[in-house]
Amino acid sequence: MSNEEKLEKNEENISRRDFLLYAMGAWATVGVGYALYAMYKTWEPLPEVMAQATVKFDLSKVKPGELKVISWRGKPVFILHKTKDMTKCPERTVAGEYTVVIGVCTHLGCIPNWEPDKKIWHCPCHGGEYNACGVNIFGPPPRPLDIPPFKLEGTIIVLGEEGPEYRKMISG
Amino acid sequence: MKELKILAVLIIVVLIGYIGIEPYAKHVMHGTIPPPDFSYLDLPKFEPAGDPVKGKELFKANCASCHSLKADGIEAGMDKKTAELSFHVVPPDLSNIAAIVEPHFLANFIRDPQNATKNPKFAMPPMGYLTNDQIGDIIAYLKSKAKKELTGKEILQDACTRCHSVKYQKIQAITSKEHLKTYLGKIPPDLSLMGRAKEKEYLITFINNPQVLLPGTTMPRLGLTEEATEKVVMYLDKIADPHKEERKKIGMWVLIYMLIGVAITYAWKRKIWQKIH
Amino acid sequence: MKLIDWLDERLAVRQLIKVMMTEYYVPKNINFLWSFGVLIILTLTILIISGIFLLMYYKPDANLAFDSVNKTIMMDVSYGWIFRHVHAVGASIIFLLLYIHMARGIYYGSFKPPREIVWITGYVLFILMSATAFTGYLLPWGQMSYWAAQTITTLFEKIPFIGPDLVIWIRGHFIVEDPTLTRFFALHVVFLPLLLIIFTAIHLYAVRIVGSNNEDGVPIPKEEKKKKGIPFWPVFMAKEYFVMAVFLTFFFFLVFFHYEFAMDPINFTPANKLQTPPHIYPEWYFLAYYEVLRGFFFSQNLGLIAFVLSMFIAMFLPWLDKSPIVSGKHRPMFQVAFWIFILDFVFLTVLGKLPPTGLYAWLGLIGSIIFFAFFFSLPIISKIERKQIENGGNKK
Repeated sequence: MSNEEKLEKNEENISRRDFLLYAMGAWATVGVGYALYAMYKTWEPLPEVMAQATVKFDLSKVKPGELKVISWRGKPVFILHKTKDMTKCPERTVAGEYTVVIGVCTHLGCIPNWEPDKKIWHCPCHGGEYNACGVNIFGPPPRPLDIPPFKLEGTIIVLGEEGPEYRKMISG
Repeated sequence: MKELKILAVLIIVVLIGYIGIEPYAKHVMHGTIPPPDFSYLDLPKFEPAGDPVKGKELFKANCASCHSLKADGIEAGMDKKTAELSFHVVPPDLSNIAAIVEPHFLANFIRDPQNATKNPKFAMPPMGYLTNDQIGDIIAYLKSKAKKELTGKEILQDACTRCHSVKYQKIQAITSKEHLKTYLGKIPPDLSLMGRAKEKEYLITFINNPQVLLPGTTMPRLGLTEEATEKVVMYLDKIADPHKEERKKIGMWVLIYMLIGVAITYAWKRKIWQKIH
Repeated sequence: MKLIDWLDERLAVRQLIKVMMTEYYVPKNINFLWSFGVLIILTLTILIISGIFLLMYYKPDANLAFDSVNKTIMMDVSYGWIFRHVHAVGASIIFLLLYIHMARGIYYGSFKPPREIVWITGYVLFILMSATAFTGYLLPWGQMSYWAAQTITTLFEKIPFIGPDLVIWIRGHFIVEDPTLTRFFALHVVFLPLLLIIFTAIHLYAVRIVGSNNEDGVPIPKEEKKKKGIPFWPVFMAKEYFVMAVFLTFFFFLVFFHYEFAMDPINFTPANKLQTPPHIYPEWYFLAYYEVLRGFFFSQNLGLIAFVLSMFIAMFLPWLDKSPIVSGKHRPMFQVAFWIFILDFVFLTVLGKLPPTGLYAWLGLIGSIIFFAFFFSLPIISKIERKQIENGGNKK
């Protein structure tokens, strides 16, 4: 009799064998599952990356008519201090006189250039144009430049956090 | 049975090797660390007592040209740059000094800093012309302004960061590198991982009296109290090993999990091997 | 079961499973020391997986390496510290497994015909693993990493004629520097692991051809395989699972609670080219060879020759020990020599970590001589045993 045959004869043990086999399988699955979870976690952005999630900027540093570009989550954000001769759009204006938009063309993701004499943004890739409010006025862009989530603390704007002004702006 | 014997032999051989290369070799290499002495009684006995009001005037007249005391709104008479040019080290703000330094040491230190710190090149000039009463008044004043409860990090910032950086905590040494090199001969080590590089007992004795463990070092003896030393060492340990608690907790769970595995696999082995002789 | 049939038609998987698993018979009379091969493969797998995850944050640059390990991986990456602990402890413990695996092979004569190729490929694997450990140890760029690499590469300077130029060529610089780190990194993560995997495959293939040795060293005849042997799968593996579980319990205990032996505190100080730490020593698994190097303290050249010889001499065991009796179980004289050798190896390991002064220096010399005496006694013991058998062999 070979060992295998011996084992097969051992019928009263079959059920216990099955149970043990399942228990071993379940046990191993838990371990592998936890290892995979730990591996999954290692790919999450590091604290230093998460620190870039919010950026503070003092709006009063931008002179009227001036455009400042700051980096938020790796993308450029345009902060334009509007003057009276620029297109008006109270529903897209922050703190009464600023346009704050993500400087990424809504067409294919190029970065539009500001043309101070025409007071528009012109996208070098496919000629899309946006007015001083960041609203598309010409070319392929399907929608205005996006407004980043923000919160106002006096003249300081916190990008990356949703304040009441931002919520009002996107709902309105 | 036979397998258990083999296992026993294996364990004994491995254990002999382990004891040889870890505890025994460490003992031969590093010896035992002498215990710290927080009484600082190698210095003349001095029990400072005095009048904080007089102390403030004395402080302004004798100390404030170099030291600030922000807790009482006193600014130092010289800025950081001037101080570095004259001393190659930035004199500390003394707001909390009385809370972290042993009073008896502090009195001796004011009188003769080079002797108290055991560093002949210590930057502060001796204040030997002050009388014992005057020193007592100054210390009484310092005591009246010092915070009672200080965290490890605050003590570190008061006692260590004049010369040491703690890169991983984004703490930069107050004195600039070039001046530290002139003052101490080299740039003092970064403290970010000191809690892992050295054991706790070593750090405590070293801070207590650097010359005992590293003869000739330019690190001054700072006369910290036992409590302040322990808090600073605990802080160093925490920043060097931030996952300690997590590690213990996960470790326990993993071991419990593994023991369950040992039980199941043992049952399985017995089942399969039952009929094999 | 359709999939199995489909695969079987194309890849003959059933035949493969039979040859590799269900009809690969392992002798019954083997103890748990025969489980260490599987444990080494398990640990190697753990090392490769944890290594891949360390690789995702490690930066092979002299200015960045230390912080990428000790700050990014150890502090910032979620669970990064587990991967580092597992990798460090795994690298250390795989040598313990290798030594036990090799000692078992020596004791039970598993290097003897027809298993020479098994032994040699195994020994090549040991050398490759040593090279992998040595190159990997430099990567954290701590004080111990740096000075270990500095001293060991300096050894090549003693080679006549080409030595001094060779050292500079190996380092890519006059001292251990950024180029050394980058090339060691490339060897550690690509070249050596690749060779390790290839040689592991050859090693396992060779074992499948000649079969496992056993305690008595008497091979089972083919026709008796089923009777005297047990199939690798599922019977032998059932025991293997238990041994693996016990080993992993021990392993994780070390990883979480007792890792200092594999992560030297001195290595938490960044490499400093201008200051050697007061005590430098290699990781524990090289200490015995290191002590042989230092043991001949009166002559540096002799020490170097002895060091190289000590690393490779065991590879030639099949030709040093030609006794017709396979297993040490039936060789009383060999047993004495074997246990003296084992104790001497432990002794050398401990001495390797102690400062080489006074008495320790002389003990090192004695230990080194005993180390070689074992290997040179083997041909003599074999000869005596052969004679005994020829004279009728009244005892077995």
